[in-house]
Amino acid sequence: MSFAPRPAVQPWARVNTGRRIQILLASSIPLLATVLIIILTGLDNNIALIGVFLPLQLVAAAAVGFKAFGKRGVGDAALIVLVIFFATFVLVLLASVVFALISQGAQAMSWGFFTTNNRYVSNTTSLEYGGVGHAIIGTLLVVGLTTVVTVPLGIAMAIYLTQSQSKTKGIIRTLTQAISGLPSVVAGLFILSIAITLDWQKSGVLGSMALLPLMLPTIARVAEEALRLVPVDLRYAALALGAPNYRAFFQVILPAAKSGLVTAILLGVARIIGETAPLILTVPISNGTSWDLFSGEIMTLPAYVYNYLGSAFVPSQNRAWGAALVLMILVAILFGATRIISRSKSLKSKPTKEKASK
Amino acid sequence: MNSLAKASTLSSENISVWFGQRQVLSDVNLVFPANKVTALIGPSGCGKSTFIRTLNRMHELIPGAGLAGSVYLDGEDIYGEDFDAVSVRIKIGMVFQKPNPFPTMTIRDNILSGLRLSGRKIENGDEVVETSLRRASIWNEVKDRLNDQAISLSGGQQQRLCIARSLAMNPQVLLMDEPCSALDPGSTRRIEETIQELSSSMTIVIVTHNMQQAQRVSDQTAFFLADDNTPGGVVEFGATEQIFNGPIDQRTNDYVNGHFG
Repeated sequence: MSFAPRPAVQPWARVNTGRRIQILLASSIPLLATVLIIILTGLDNNIALIGVFLPLQLVAAAAVGFKAFGKRGVGDAALIVLVIFFATFVLVLLASVVFALISQGAQAMSWGFFTTNNRYVSNTTSLEYGGVGHAIIGTLLVVGLTTVVTVPLGIAMAIYLTQSQSKTKGIIRTLTQAISGLPSVVAGLFILSIAITLDWQKSGVLGSMALLPLMLPTIARVAEEALRLVPVDLRYAALALGAPNYRAFFQVILPAAKSGLVTAILLGVARIIGETAPLILTVPISNGTSWDLFSGEIMTLPAYVYNYLGSAFVPSQNRAWGAALVLMILVAILFGATRIISRSKSLKSKPTKEKASK
Repeated sequence: MNSLAKASTLSSENISVWFGQRQVLSDVNLVFPANKVTALIGPSGCGKSTFIRTLNRMHELIPGAGLAGSVYLDGEDIYGEDFDAVSVRIKIGMVFQKPNPFPTMTIRDNILSGLRLSGRKIENGDEVVETSLRRASIWNEVKDRLNDQAISLSGGQQQRLCIARSLAMNPQVLLMDEPCSALDPGSTRRIEETIQELSSSMTIVIVTHNMQQAQRVSDQTAFFLADDNTPGGVVEFGATEQIFNGPIDQRTNDYVNGHFG
């Protein structure tokens, strides 16, 4: 087997044939050996992967590395094996979740599934009828209201944490982090108990209130990091030009942190859009479409999934999988759209690369 | 053409500076006459940069900073009751050691940023942009790409853009904190030429580690020194010619001739 000589555009990437064969052997023998052991001994696949394949692969890679570069080659080879192994591991996990969603949810997918509600649908109604239209509307409304209220609060908090010199900062940061560990069901119960005490009816707005403490820490923390990354030089430059603090902040610091702040908002939305427990506790579900957040029943996607997944009837289970898939698609669309919008305005100005002058 | 503001005389009186409990400068008395270029020289850590930041009230932005003494702009104390930090900084511009153009703005917007940031109306923006860039001798290099991002410029161009940005504010005094320390000789020479031209319309104070630069651009020179664990101060202050060719103090002589520091 011979390899056509490549022009030496990357001389450091040249590998001679002997080394190539070593690498080929080192990456195939452990796999073959593991498969053989599984077949011969009937060892559990997962145990074999961690207990047989990984050590074998590490030893094989280390041997090749040692032959090529001596001691330092061993460390490099081991690192490469570990990185590839665990990256693959995590990728497979993620891919299988997505695959499960798609394969289970696909049969529910149709245009009507996105646009119609579940009025006149029973547990056994065929998938051709009914859909998650009402739940999409409900989720967008509830999450939208939470976002509208929480984003200014979270960013204001981040501003306080980065710009103020006050000594209470540490306490506030610690409290914020503590809240981020709050179980979402507790947030729901908290709002529910307030509602019962004050004799409020359950409604979409209660759901939004229950989601707020879950979203706030994420936004505040990520936005704080984004603002912290803006070099203090820029602030000094603005102040030295005679800018009052607020103008320096709004015209210089905030624009420089924009893409990070967009990320903060996205992560905040992602944190709450799939939250189920608080909504089940505080928002009465419905099968019809409702645009009213402030009274009456309103359906959300997580509540829809929860409601149908436990059903004994196959069409209902399929609806639940379909709704979960819709939720994932919704998040993907939201993320994609926000990225495109924020990129078209601010990517050019990212303070990362310095082009040479012409 | 804008009517340019008159250059002003700036002077410091018994300026002492603290960071927390530690005193870093002691009793600095200097006069910066109108239309003169003054160089501040001295080894690292002697308080030159700290001192120059007291001249436009940037020093007070550092947490724990303390100050005693006065700085007079045409006889008025900039730390007095009639002045506030913002109006001081509008009159006394500053160029920093590291070029710091606003990365989210175009070249044009960077020039106009001072006017916008200080809340002024911009009436003849194009004229301000051209005049400022010309005065910083960078107009010819950027006139065809005013709407490019400022960070697309090279380091030397960015620094001249920052000078132009300060000039757009028509300052009476321009403070420069080692403006050429990160630049190549060509950019340095151009900035030095710019300084010479600007001195006809403003007072300039420049911190530099480059002895030749101090001799080339300045009319007078102040030599700062801080002995171990004592606050820094001015050892000798006089005409540049005298400081470099006939210093009175032995330490000045040693420093300008490269024997230490």
